[in-house]
Formats: sequence, structure tokens, C-alpha cells
Amino acid sequence: MTAKIEKFPGVYLRESDFRDKKVLFNEWNPNAQYAWDAGVAIGRYLAELKEGRLVGVQCNKCRRTVIPPRNFCEWCFRPMDDWVHLPDIGTVNTFSLCYVTWDMQYLTDPEIPAVIDIDGTSPAVGIMHKLGEVDPQAVRIGMRVQAVWKPPEEREGSILDIKYFKPLEG
Amino acid sequence: MAILEKVDKLHRATAWRGDIPITSRYTAGIAGEKFFREIKDNARIMGTYCENCELIYVPAAMFCERCFAELDEWVEVDTRGTVFTYTVLFRDLDDRPLDPPAILAYVKLDGSTGGLVHYLGEIDPEEVCIGLEVEAVFKDAPEREGSILDIEYFRPVEA
Repeated sequence: MTAKIEKFPGVYLRESDFRDKKVLFNEWNPNAQYAWDAGVAIGRYLAELKEGRLVGVQCNKCRRTVIPPRNFCEWCFRPMDDWVHLPDIGTVNTFSLCYVTWDMQYLTDPEIPAVIDIDGTSPAVGIMHKLGEVDPQAVRIGMRVQAVWKPPEEREGSILDIKYFKPLEG
Repeated sequence: MAILEKVDKLHRATAWRGDIPITSRYTAGIAGEKFFREIKDNARIMGTYCENCELIYVPAAMFCERCFAELDEWVEVDTRGTVFTYTVLFRDLDDRPLDPPAILAYVKLDGSTGGLVHYLGEIDPEEVCIGLEVEAVFKDAPEREGSILDIEYFRPVEA
């Protein structure tokens, strides 16, 4: 517990105490549905993903090309100028080997989330995705990777229309 | 692409939909546990007595809110009481019409300093008044599960 307190006061309950109804309780599952307005920029980004393409935007003042697309250039505080189609190829900027899921389940084969700098974008611009078809120990910063897409009929306008990025052959 | 680019047709507006899995469990606490067990097992309403302040807390509390003394003297209180205040509800939490309307009241229980917020039943909204004498109607024993809803509602005491 702490240096001064060996045991906090109160009644300790286990999952089994709830399961066996040893304790009275109310259980409630809030219906927490949401709809997040994608807006013009992300709306088109998702629509293009459904078509199997990556799209970014470009600012003519600072001359940056960024992905995911946004309406404003956050450097220049002015509207972005053009849409730019980008290749589904990039470079691993940073990555992590993740042996625990978001709800604290152990994984034998780690998930490999990574930030991928997409070719044709400016420095320090990347998208977050997962790596696959790769030995976790072989992943390196600077590794060249390419998107693996779901088949067209399974795509639904989501970042998960890309299954993962895998090492580029050769 | 310009800042003034707008979504002008509804079908072009896209939204990302999802839901957040949340489960909440609320336990009644030490005094609350005993309070609800008594309702479930014996169909009686219990309070805790503070000797110092001569108060009987309903629902039962573990400590006195005035002198902070620990309370371990349990007393049975009447399942009858009087309507202290009430309101008539014509809409539910999701704003759907309630027909018939629900009547919610704070019922001060006889022989205690406290009371319960609960439904009134077997009465028309027009007939409810402050000071009305009411009594608790319990569910049958097998249906009781240790909840405040083990009391179905309070109904007027027959004159």
C-alpha cells in the first residue's frame, strides 16, 4: 500500500463476489454511442481510403504536404491549397512492440503500432498504423514499408481499410 | 480546397460512428448492504440511531452526519409515512411520453428523521397532496432482489 498505511479501510470485493451475488449491486451499461463529424478534410480522406488511395493536402505558403488532410495549415493559419494523392509507401519513423491490449489482455505475438512517414510528405508528417508480416525483432526505424489493403468489397471508409503496413520487398 | 468548401448535400456529410463499452457497478456500502438485505429478506425498513443527536437515519447510514459518530444501533422504522413533497412526471429520461404519468414523492417515514424518494401508486395525480399518509407496497418475497424497487410504490393508507 504506502509507507504509512498497510491496509486501506473498507471491504475488498472480488469478481466472484459479484458473480455469486454475495454483495448487492446495481449494474449499468450506458448506451454510449457517438457520431464524430468527419468534416470536409477527414471526410474525403476516409472516402479515398475506401477507394484504396491515400490523399493529403498541400500548403502553398510553407510548401508542406501533410497527411491526414486538414482544412487549415497549422503553421500558416491559412486554408490549405490543394489535394495531393500520395503513394501507400513510407518509412517507419518510430514503433513499439505491444504485448498488452487496450483492455489489459496479454498477447504472445505483439501488436506493432508505428508512425509511418508517407512518401511525398514533408518531414515530421506521418500516420499511425500497425505493422504486419514482419518479425517483431526485425523492425527498425527507417524500414521501408507498404500498405496491405483489404479487398475493395470489404472496405468501409476507415483507416482500417489498410490492414497493416508490411516491409517493402527488395 | 478552400476554407469555404462546404458540405452542401446531406449524403456527402460523413460521420465516424462507434460506441464506447462501459460497465458501471454500484455497491450500496456496508450500511446500505444491510439496509437492502432487510428489505429483501424481511420486507422491513431499517434505520440507524444516533444517541447523541437523537436522530434515526433512513436510509441507514454508517455515521451521523451531524456529530460524525459511528452508528451501529439499528432500529426498525414504520413502512408508513407522509408525503413531504412530490412531482408528476409526464416524460421519461429519454423524453418519451409517460402514460399514465409517474408520481415521484419524498416520503418521510414515521418513527424516523429520514425518508425515501419513491413512486406513488394506486392514486391519481390530482389526488396527491403534501401531508398525504402513505404506506409501502412490497413485492412478493421471491421477486425481491435487494433493490429499492423491491418496494413497488407507496400507496395511500385506507382511512
